[in-house]
Order: sequence, then structure tokens, then C-alpha cells
Amino acid sequence: MPAIAGPSSSPQKHVVGSRSESIGGVRSAEVNTSRKRKLRSDSAAEVSATVVLPVNSISTPMKWKSPRRCAVSIPKTSDEEIKEDSNEKLENPVISVCLEVKSKWNPKDDEQMKAVKEALHVSKAPSTVVCREDEQRRVFEFVKGCMEQKKAGSLYICGCPGTGKSLSMEKVRLQAEEWAKQAGLHCPETVSVNCTSLTKSTDIFSKILGNYESGKKANGSFSPLQQLQRLFSQKQQQSRSKMMLIIADEMDYLITRDRGVLHELFMLTTLPFSRCILIGVANAIDLADRFLPKLKSLNCKPLVVTFRAYSKDQILRILQERLVALPFVAFQSNALEICARKVSAASGDMRKALCVCRSALEILEIEVRGSIDQEPKGPVPECQVVKMDHMIAALSKTFKSPIVDTIQSLPQHQQIIVCSAAKAFRGSKKDRTIAELNKLYLEICKSSMITPAGITEFSNMCTVLNDQGILKLSHARDDKLKRVSLRVDEADITFALKEIRFFRNCLL
Amino acid sequence: MASSPSSKAKTFKSPTKTPTKMYRKSYLSPSSTSLTPPQTPETLTPLRRSSRHVSRKINLENDPIDLPERESIEEINLIRKPRKRTNDIVVAEKSKKKKIDPEVSFSPVSPIRSETKKTKKKKRVYYNKVEFDETEFEIGDDVYVKRTEDANPDEEEEEDPEIEDCQICFKSHTNTIMIECDDCLGGFHLNCLKPPLKEVPEGDWICQFCEVKKSGQTLVVVPKPPEGKKLARTMKEKLLSSDLWAARIEKLWKEVDDGVYWIRARWYMIPEETVLGRQRHNLKRELYLTNDFADIEMECVLRHCFVKCPKEFSKASNDGDDVFLCEYEYDVHWGSFKRVAELADGDEDSDQEWNGRKEEEIDYSDEEIEFDDEESVRGVSKSKRGGANSRKGRFFGLEKVGMKRIPEHVRCHKQSELEKAKATLLLATRPKSLPCRSKEMEEITAFIKGSISDDQCLGRCMYIHGVPGTGKTISVLSVMKNLKAEVEAGSVSPYCFVEINGLKLASPENIYSVIFEGLSGHRVGWKKALQSLNERFAEGKKIGKENEKPCILLTDELDVLVTRNQSVLYNILDWPTKPNSKLVVLGIANTMDLPEKLLPRISSRMGIQRLCFGPYNHRQLQEIISTRLEGINAFEKTAIEFASRKVAAISGDARRALEICRRAAEVADYRLKKSNISAKSQLVIMADVEVAIQEMFQAPHIQVMKSVSKLSRIFLTAMVHELYKTGMAETSFDRVATTVSSICLTNGEAFPGWDILLKIGCDLGECRIVLCEPGEKHRLQKLQLNFPSDDVAFALKDNKDLPWLANYL
Repeated sequence: MPAIAGPSSSPQKHVVGSRSESIGGVRSAEVNTSRKRKLRSDSAAEVSATVVLPVNSISTPMKWKSPRRCAVSIPKTSDEEIKEDSNEKLENPVISVCLEVKSKWNPKDDEQMKAVKEALHVSKAPSTVVCREDEQRRVFEFVKGCMEQKKAGSLYICGCPGTGKSLSMEKVRLQAEEWAKQAGLHCPETVSVNCTSLTKSTDIFSKILGNYESGKKANGSFSPLQQLQRLFSQKQQQSRSKMMLIIADEMDYLITRDRGVLHELFMLTTLPFSRCILIGVANAIDLADRFLPKLKSLNCKPLVVTFRAYSKDQILRILQERLVALPFVAFQSNALEICARKVSAASGDMRKALCVCRSALEILEIEVRGSIDQEPKGPVPECQVVKMDHMIAALSKTFKSPIVDTIQSLPQHQQIIVCSAAKAFRGSKKDRTIAELNKLYLEICKSSMITPAGITEFSNMCTVLNDQGILKLSHARDDKLKRVSLRVDEADITFALKEIRFFRNCLL
Repeated sequence: MASSPSSKAKTFKSPTKTPTKMYRKSYLSPSSTSLTPPQTPETLTPLRRSSRHVSRKINLENDPIDLPERESIEEINLIRKPRKRTNDIVVAEKSKKKKIDPEVSFSPVSPIRSETKKTKKKKRVYYNKVEFDETEFEIGDDVYVKRTEDANPDEEEEEDPEIEDCQICFKSHTNTIMIECDDCLGGFHLNCLKPPLKEVPEGDWICQFCEVKKSGQTLVVVPKPPEGKKLARTMKEKLLSSDLWAARIEKLWKEVDDGVYWIRARWYMIPEETVLGRQRHNLKRELYLTNDFADIEMECVLRHCFVKCPKEFSKASNDGDDVFLCEYEYDVHWGSFKRVAELADGDEDSDQEWNGRKEEEIDYSDEEIEFDDEESVRGVSKSKRGGANSRKGRFFGLEKVGMKRIPEHVRCHKQSELEKAKATLLLATRPKSLPCRSKEMEEITAFIKGSISDDQCLGRCMYIHGVPGTGKTISVLSVMKNLKAEVEAGSVSPYCFVEINGLKLASPENIYSVIFEGLSGHRVGWKKALQSLNERFAEGKKIGKENEKPCILLTDELDVLVTRNQSVLYNILDWPTKPNSKLVVLGIANTMDLPEKLLPRISSRMGIQRLCFGPYNHRQLQEIISTRLEGINAFEKTAIEFASRKVAAISGDARRALEICRRAAEVADYRLKKSNISAKSQLVIMADVEVAIQEMFQAPHIQVMKSVSKLSRIFLTAMVHELYKTGMAETSFDRVATTVSSICLTNGEAFPGWDILLKIGCDLGECRIVLCEPGEKHRLQKLQLNFPSDDVAFALKDNKDLPWLANYL
């Protein structure tokens, strides 16, 4: 997939991007390169969108394919390009399926609506994990290698939330079992633990142990950890030579104050006769470095595989992959694209993209229902799919900052407080105590002949503003000594309050 | 409990007495049976109790008699039981043993025993209904069961009183109406009371003795029973002091060999007999249905009683003395409680859950069983059994014991408009409709319906946020109420709803056990609950029979669940993303940016469904108050508007607006009463609201400072003066003292002395009017005013005792 394009190939791609731009506003295939170039390619894409939009409402897939073709036609030599080529082949049938079937989708049909919603739901795991082939392969190679050599090893997987880590691990687990069966090795015992579901962090050892020797009776005098250590430091009989694959999801929940549990867990893989392959999954990129400096000195630092945030093409492709199974077209492709762009720009979280799609779907549903109510026998518009404007509404619902609306709907006294806070933090000072803020508030009240609220009431209002995310109150023993700082931009406040005449003078 | 205050000593004694006797008896029981073989019930019944308390010991003692028969269970599929008595003991015993080690107890047996078995075959005929001593007993009926070994010999002689005696005259008339005290359950004739009542009042009624006792007096003059007359106890009293037992008939059959009738009884327990003992919330007539079974002869059955579920119980106010309430099932092995869903079909699910008697069903299945619908037996053993069954066959019901339960006592006082207004403005009063939140409610309804109406039910989360008093919780609850109505109408598929308030949990982890209890009805520790919930949601295993339904989880005060590593929230929000979870989570909190404050992995799972409840503006508040006051003409329109505008300007909190209006109504009430002139308009006016607002918004510190002592005033004045002079917020005690002395000197006051001054400083510090530096009290201690100096000056200014203070402020 182009997303994993290494830095070596990027200049070339850059050329491609600029070239495609010069060809005349087609979508660039360029992904995930440096920010500057990304910006540029984005602008190119926007141009293309504006050009293409009116035309391609009927035959989107054609337009969609053409830039790809021209990208392929440019001679390239790097490995990535070949891979991309293969991906291209994978993708083409998908799109052609879209094109051929393209039955009409009727959003009024409950069954169809339900099918779309289900396809977009987080819990429905797709049969194949697209866009993560490379990472999956690396993890699988690692497991395979360990199993072939019958040696222990540890691997650490990190990445932002919603980048398919857990899902990929599940797939790798199945893959490994399959492979072991084919290769005639012992099927590895797998322990999949989500560390949040443990009641105590040391429970992970008993869970591993429980899986490993369910037949053997528990040895009462030793803790599960000690038993595991003994198990792995003695030579095993032949019968027990099964490998064990431990997948610890959300591994950072195992971090205790002394990091004992995490450390011991990794140390299990270094014992002489250890047979466990440890795969840890977490968000932090440097968990191993930060919490396990000792492992480095013992030279058993885990390998690290990083799951990067999805790029816009990847998100788009995953969304299409999910929707392709349906026998109808529910989303306009540029609607999907804008969703992918927006989400990838914000976080690259796949869950969010799915949520946005669903809420766009719901917006459409409400609209359709409303139109039925209004004109029961009026002519139904031809294509009832989720269009650009639905998606934009959903996106703005998700990503719009509600701060201006919130400030405008505040009660007047709270608005005065916000106003005085904006004034107070105009200078270089970043925070003040409540008492100081109260003084400013009293001044404003006095100047405009408003009876001010008392000090207790004032601090209550500050707490409410803190809850709304406008002010920030630091904790202090005394109410009066709490420090206040502003959490929204002063420009936002000015913008929100300038409509109200009362504040015009105050904010000057 | 035994009834009146007069028998206080007795009631106290009876629980202590009975258990000891019980133990002793149960130890003796094997020997006594060997002496008098036909006395089956005596040996049977103690076993139930004794096995609960001292089961091991009894087994040992029973060994010589029991052992051969007990082993026979293993062979029960092939062979009928030889003797009924042993059979019963075995069965009662078996259910205990099974729990412990099913494998062992059902292992094959030695040939010797099976040999003895084969010679004797047993034939049973099962019935649905049996008429025994002129009373019909049906399967599912509740009955009193005799407990012979406990009854005193003299009491046994005596007839069971058919009608309860009055607690005052100690006579029982059949034709006068009795009233029951809801506290001590004693019965009173209406005309014996002082003052006599004409008719049974509505609502709860407590007798004069209990009332006196409640008011704290120890000396209670209670009527003594006349000399020579023994206090007869009704069956209800005996049951509640555990001298009798209640049971439910599960099966009825006749042994063909000897023609003896048997029932399979499922015991009821009184709260005292459970592990927890009587709790404060237990009602007097509360019983627990157990999962403990025993086979007993029909001889021991005394007569019917009526055990009802709470709904029926509340209706059954006139059904006589033998009405009991059963709300929970009690598991005697685990000591756990479970709500009885429906008493009528309760035994079905108990079979599934505890499978207490599966094996026995198998046993009977290959016996020759004839089922008859009905059979009547007349007076089989009346003469033989003496007192035991003499009460059978009686007719009871309404005419037996007059009116017993007392409905509400309604005062015939006509409420004035103001009182009505006060009542409806109470926060606890549920409004009939919720104005101003229809949009939000629609959104919630659409969200829930969209999630649960499909049969596949995709799990989702919604986060609802808003400042306090904006109707978040009440909106969700009313949406759920509407949905429930729709479920009953059949337009929405059924779901189960679990409501949790984060602040009511002892610790955030306890939410697991609350959820689990909501889903399954069982109460377990949170670790076990977490495990089961993980199995249920993540792996799709089943808990009980509830799992097909989607589950809606409402978590109020979600932010309380944020633990240090946030694992609780992670788990709760992770479950909806699992394929088979069918879980919909609604979270409510005040904080707008809670998802952003959480770990990114959690906010990623939370989704993007947010709903904001903004603060009310003055028009909305006005509408809310007027809808509440609909039909009550108590407020001037301007008064409502004034209150709502004032609140909307500060917080927009509806609770506050209602409180102000209620307080204003009180103020108006007081004003009208004081003026004592029937004013032409009984309305709440602006001035009343103004007073209420002053009370609510004026800070309490002003009042405190206005009422402090003279020296404290001088002290505070000195502090303010010092503040004006130096411009520094913080001063030391040293300097304040110097200022105080100079002020006193110029105004002709006596200087109080340093130690008294220090004490005054400390007192002001305790009230938090002055902030003192922590640590030892000494001369150089740092002091600071806790309130703005303007407030202090305002509070001290107009003072009649010390007018000269104003010069320094």
C-alpha cells in the first residue's frame, strides 16, 4: 500500500503528484509524505474535486480509476510501486463490482438501511483487514520465525487508537494457528488478554499459567509468577514443548508503580527454556523504552511494530471495502472521500470515520422520512444516496468546536465572568486567583450598574465554567486561592460576545 | 413476632429459646425415631433446620440408621425405595450433598445394598389436587406445616385460636371488626381503642402502645391479660417466631402400599432464619422462598396460608391474618437473594438455575405413576393425630378476622392554593410533562430506538452533558418510561434497562456488580461480576435468560467513574464495540469536555454521539414553572418572570428557580397569615420573590459577620483598616493587635489584652472569616481576610453599638 512508502521513494512520488496536478486536476495518489507536500497535494485534490464534482455524479468510478491508470503508466522502479501495482489490481475488481451492480438503494427500505448500518458498525469486523497487510505480515513473520526456531521472543505493537491493532492481532493469531497446522508443528497455545479486564495486574500470570497447564494441579506454595519462572527455567519434556503465544492488549494497564509486572512479563521470554512469544499492544510509542530500561541492558528489548494513523486513502479504501459487500450503492464516493480526508487530518481514527458515516446516514434517514411526511406522493428524487452535504453536516457536527455557541448561550453573569477573564489574561499573565478575577468581575458589574453576585455564587459559576471547558480551575485547598486560567482563545470570546451590545464596551 | 407490647419480654425470649431447643432436638431426633417409628414428621422436619445449622454432626449421628438408605440414591433409577421414611430423609439430604460433590455421591454402589432394594418396590400415584380432611390442597398452594417437636405440651393441647384476641380486652368476638397495628401486628377491636374508632382508617395505622414506644418513653402501660387466661397465639405468630413453618406444595402423591399421602414441600423462611438475619427493610410479614425441598406427610400440613408477591400483597389488605409477602428467593446454600419474578411461575426458573431436583425427576420417571386429577380422602387420621390436624378443613377468608389492614389516613383539610403551589413546586414532585426539552428527548428516543429496534442491535454510546439542573436525568428517564409503554404496546422489542448513579457506588469498580445484578438478579462481588460481564459482552456467553434482550445502561454522573487508569470506563465503553454485546450505553455528566479529558483510546471508543443540555433561558424557566403551577392560581405572572429572569442570569438552573418560587410561596403564606386580613388577592407577589432571592443569593458570610461579638468586630475592623493602610492582603497578628490597641485607645474602649485577642483571632479563623496560617498560634502568625474587604465593610458599617467603626472602614 502506498501508505507505507518509505522516504526513499518519496521524491519520485512527489514528481508524480505534481505531474498529475499538471495533467489537469486529477486526484493524486500520493499519501503520507511530508506535511508540506501533503498540503500541496491536498490543494490539488481540492481543485480536482471542484472540477470533477458536477460531472461525476453518474459515473464516479470511471473518474476514480483514470488517475490511477495514469499514475501506473508512469515508469517506476521502486519496490513500493510494484506493490502498489498489485494493490491496484486488487482494487480494480472491487470498483468494477461497484459499477456493475449499482442497484438502486432505497433508504426507505428498513432492511437495506439496516444492512448499511451493520456494515458500518465498529463491531462488525471485516473478513480481510485491508491496509494493514504489511504490519500483519511483519508480525506474522516474527511469530513464524519464533515458532520455527522454537525460541521465545517479544514484540511490542504501538499505534493510535482506532488503527486496527487488536483486529490485526486477532487475524495474526488465526493465521499462525493455520500455518502451524499446515507446517505440521504443534499448534501454539494462545492467550489473548485484554489487560483492562484484569482485576489486578498480577492476574495476568495466573491467566497465562491457567492456560498453560490446565491439567496440572496448582502448586499452592508458589505464586503463579514463580511457577511460570520455574517452568521456563527447567528443561521440558518433549510433550510440553508447545509454544505459547501471549497477546496482551492495552498493555500499559500492567504498569505498576515499580513496573514489576511488566518487567517480569518481558523477562519470561528471556528465560533459558522459555517457549512464549509475547506480543504487547498499547498506544504509547515508547512504552518499552520508558518503562523497561533494564531490558535494553539485558539485550532483550522487544521488537517494535508501529501502526500509523490511517491516511485518507486508506480510510477511503477501508470504507469502500466495507460497503462493497452490499448489493447497492449507499454513499456517493466523494462524500466518502471528504469524510476520509477530514478524519485523517484530525486523527486517522477509523472508529471515528465509521461513526461519521453512520451519522451522515442518519441525517439522510431523517431527511427521507421528513420528505415522506411532507409530500406522500410527490416524485421521489432519483438517487437517494448519502451525498456531500449530508456528510458535511455530519462532519461539522463532529468536528465543529462548540465553544462559540456555548459562550453565547451562557447566562449573563457567566458571560461577564468570561469577559472579565478575557480581559485579565490579555497581558502576559497566564493565570490568576479567583479573588483577582472576582475583583475584575465586580468592576465590570459596577461600571454597568448590575448587582454583582456574591463570592460563593461567583466561585460556583467558575466551577460551572470549568465544567464547560471555558475556564480551568486548578485544585487548591482554599476556594479563594484556586488559580484560574482561560482555556479558550480570546478571539473566540470576542467573536462570540461582540453580537451582544452590552459587551462591546467591556471588551475594548 | 409475638404481638403486643405487653408480651415484650416474651417476644424477646422466644427467638433465643427456640434455637437452642432446636439444636438439642435435632441431635436427639434419631434416637427418638428409633423409639417411636411412625412419627415421621418429627424426624423429617428437624432435619431441614438442623442440616442448615449443624449438618455435619447430624450426619454422624444419623449414620447407623441412614447409611444404607442414603447410598441407595445411586440405584434409584433402577429400584424403588423400600421405606418412605428413609427415602425422604435421603432426598432432603441429597440436595445438600449434590452441591458438594455430585460425582462421588452418584458413583456405583456395592451389590449388597442393591440386593436389599430389589425386594421392595414402591408405587406412587400423583395428583394435582387432593382433598384431605375436607380441605382441598392443590399443587402450588401455600400451607402451614407443623413442627411438632417444638410445641409445648400444654400449648399443643390447646386449640389454635381461630381468631386473634384483642390486645386490650383479650377476648375474641367474631362479630366486631378488628384493626391491625402495622408495627406490632397486634389486633385491636375498634371499640376497645381509646378513643374508639368508627371505621377502619385509610393508610397505615399504628396502635397507641407502639406510638408511645416510638416516641422514646420506656414506661409503657400495657394492658395485662386477665389472670388464668393463657395468651393464645395464632398460627401467624407462631410462624413468625419460628414455631411453625410455611411451605409451598410442589407435588402431591399417595403411596400405594400403605395409602399415606405425601407432599413435596418447598420451604419458606422468615427473615430471622437467613444468614443475614432480619434486616431493617424487612416487613413484618415478609417471607423468603427457599430452594430447599422436603417430602412430608400430609399429616403435618395444618392449613392454608397465602404468600403473595408485593403487588398482590398490597391489594390484599382485607384477606385475613394468614397473608404473607414474598419478594425474594433465598438460596440456602449460597446465602444469596434473588427477586422472585412471578410467584406463579417462579419454580420454573428456579429449576433451571439451581437444578435442585433434576435427578429426582428422573427417579420418578420410571416408576409406575398414575396421575389422577383429584381425589378426596376424608378423615383418614383425624383421631390418630390428635391436635395436629384438628384445624384442617376450616373455612377462612374475609369473614374470619374482620378488617385488618388499614389504608391511608387522609386529613379532611382543604388545601389552599398556596399550599398546593408549595407542594407542586417541591423538587421531589415529578412533573406531569417536561416542557422545553422536547428536542433533546426526541433525539434520545431516536438514538435508543435506532439502536434497539433492529433485531441485530448494534451497540452504541451516547454522552449527555450539561450544567446541573437542566433536566438531563429526568429527560432520559421519561424517554425510558415512554419506551416502556411502547414495549408493552408491542411496537418496540423488549429490552432490559439498568440505571446506575455513579455517585451512589461505593467505588467505581462496584459498577460491575450493579450491572450484573441488573442483568441476572444475582449479587456477586465486582471481580466475579467483571469476569461474567466480560464473558457476556465480549464473548457472547449467556447469563441467565436475559441475554437475548438488548441492554440499555444509563450511567449518571459518568465522571465519577474516572479512575486513575480509567479501566472502568474503558471496559464499559469497550463492550458496545464487541460483536454480540447488544449493549447501549448512555452516559450523563456535567463536564462538557469529558471525552477529551479521557485517554484517547477511551474517547475513540465513546464515539461521536453527544447531546448538550444548555442552561435554561428565562423564557424556558418561566414555562417550566407555569406548567408546574397549571391550574393553581397562586403566583402573579410578574413574580414568576422575575424569579426566572434572576435565575437565568446567574445559572439557568431549574432546581434553583423552583426552590426560589417555593420559598416565595412560603414567605407569602407567612405574610398573609401575619397581616391576618383576608387580603383580596392571595397571590405571591414580586416582593416575596425578592425576599426569597435575597435569602438564596445573599452569601451567608455577611450574616455571620453581622452577628459576631463586639471584640470580633473591632478585630475585623482593624484588619480592614490595616489592609487599607498597607494595601497588602496578608498581615501578621502582631500588627493587627497593635492597630486594635490604638483604635481602642482613641475610642475609649478597654483594650482586651493579647491572649483574649489571640483567642478571638482563632475563633474567626475557625469560622473561616479570617484565614490563619496553619500551625501554632503565635504573635507573628499570618492573617488574611477570607472575603473581599468590601463585604466585611458592608457587614460592619451600620452598627448601633459601635458607630465609630464606620470611621475606619
